[in-house]
Amino acid sequence: MQGSAADGEALDFEPEDDDLMDEDGAPDADASPPHPKLKSAITAAAATSSAAAPKKTKGRGFRQDTDANRNTRLSGSDFDSLTTEGGPGPQRSIEGWIILVTGVHEEAQEDDLQNAFGEYGEIKNLHLNLDRRTGFVKGYALIEYERAEEARNAIENLNGSELLTQTIYVDWAFSSGPINESIRRKNARPPRERRSRSPRRRY
Amino acid sequence: MASEEENGEFYLRYYVGHKGKFGHEFLEFEFRPDGKLRYANNSNYKNDTIIRKEVYLTPAVLRECRRIISESEIMKEDDNNWPEPDRVGRQELEIVMGNEHISFTTSKIGSLVDVQSSADPEGLRIFYYLVQDLKCFVFSLISLHFKIKPI
Repeated sequence: MQGSAADGEALDFEPEDDDLMDEDGAPDADASPPHPKLKSAITAAAATSSAAAPKKTKGRGFRQDTDANRNTRLSGSDFDSLTTEGGPGPQRSIEGWIILVTGVHEEAQEDDLQNAFGEYGEIKNLHLNLDRRTGFVKGYALIEYERAEEARNAIENLNGSELLTQTIYVDWAFSSGPINESIRRKNARPPRERRSRSPRRRY
Repeated sequence: MASEEENGEFYLRYYVGHKGKFGHEFLEFEFRPDGKLRYANNSNYKNDTIIRKEVYLTPAVLRECRRIISESEIMKEDDNNWPEPDRVGRQELEIVMGNEHISFTTSKIGSLVDVQSSADPEGLRIFYYLVQDLKCFVFSLISLHFKIKPI
């Protein structure tokens, strides 16, 4: 939103002026919560990448002593993964291709999904998980096809369609690479070439 | 229009575990802002291997995860009056969403009886069900992708 407002005169802004546009005028955009318990790269990165006001923090997790193991449990590099080389795109799973359906009606039955999605290929697996409190469908389904083509056809034909009076959205579940890579780069501060060039020397 | 709700910052980590006869046994998973889902399950009982899996999720999956969290209204709760972690075990739920960052800790919750008898049954119930819904979501994703039984 900030971007579109400023687009027209973007050339007049120095990158530093961005901070002035923060409505609450946070004095220190990078102020982190008082010694957060989790010191993982994720949160640290999240905290600094945000140019917005400091986060509101809540919970004992920010106060209690850190478990010594805490930072190592999920930080190892020996996680199994199926990720292959190549640009981000749909990621194949062990036995097929998984798609996510959202907007699923809370009273939907497996048959409803079978009927709609079976059109595009044999469904190898179908998870229609329930809300643990209400017992109704939680609102999503995960469907596995053997072939990418089948999954792609289901996505193209059923995304945005109607199932039991509700619009459903269909997309791949797994990706071969991180998301936002390009978006992040776009939002990163532009290099300050224009400004840092010194005036031509006068004789 | 890109709303904060849909595209703002997002991070989630859940941990449940205890240290006992079989060492440190735990289950932990996290959703990272770049879409990476990490899952670790260390049970030393019978087979003593740790399962560690990771996979990148599409924005669609992250959005669904955010929806589940938003609708639970967990961000409005506070763990002040929840049972403290103890020898039996500990749970941790950390979520960054929009401009809020929660990091809740509590003991293991065996059943709704524990919830009912606590000092904050309403808040703890929200936590109790949200954790189950999240686990259910993650177990489906992991088991479909890797063809393993997560537990």
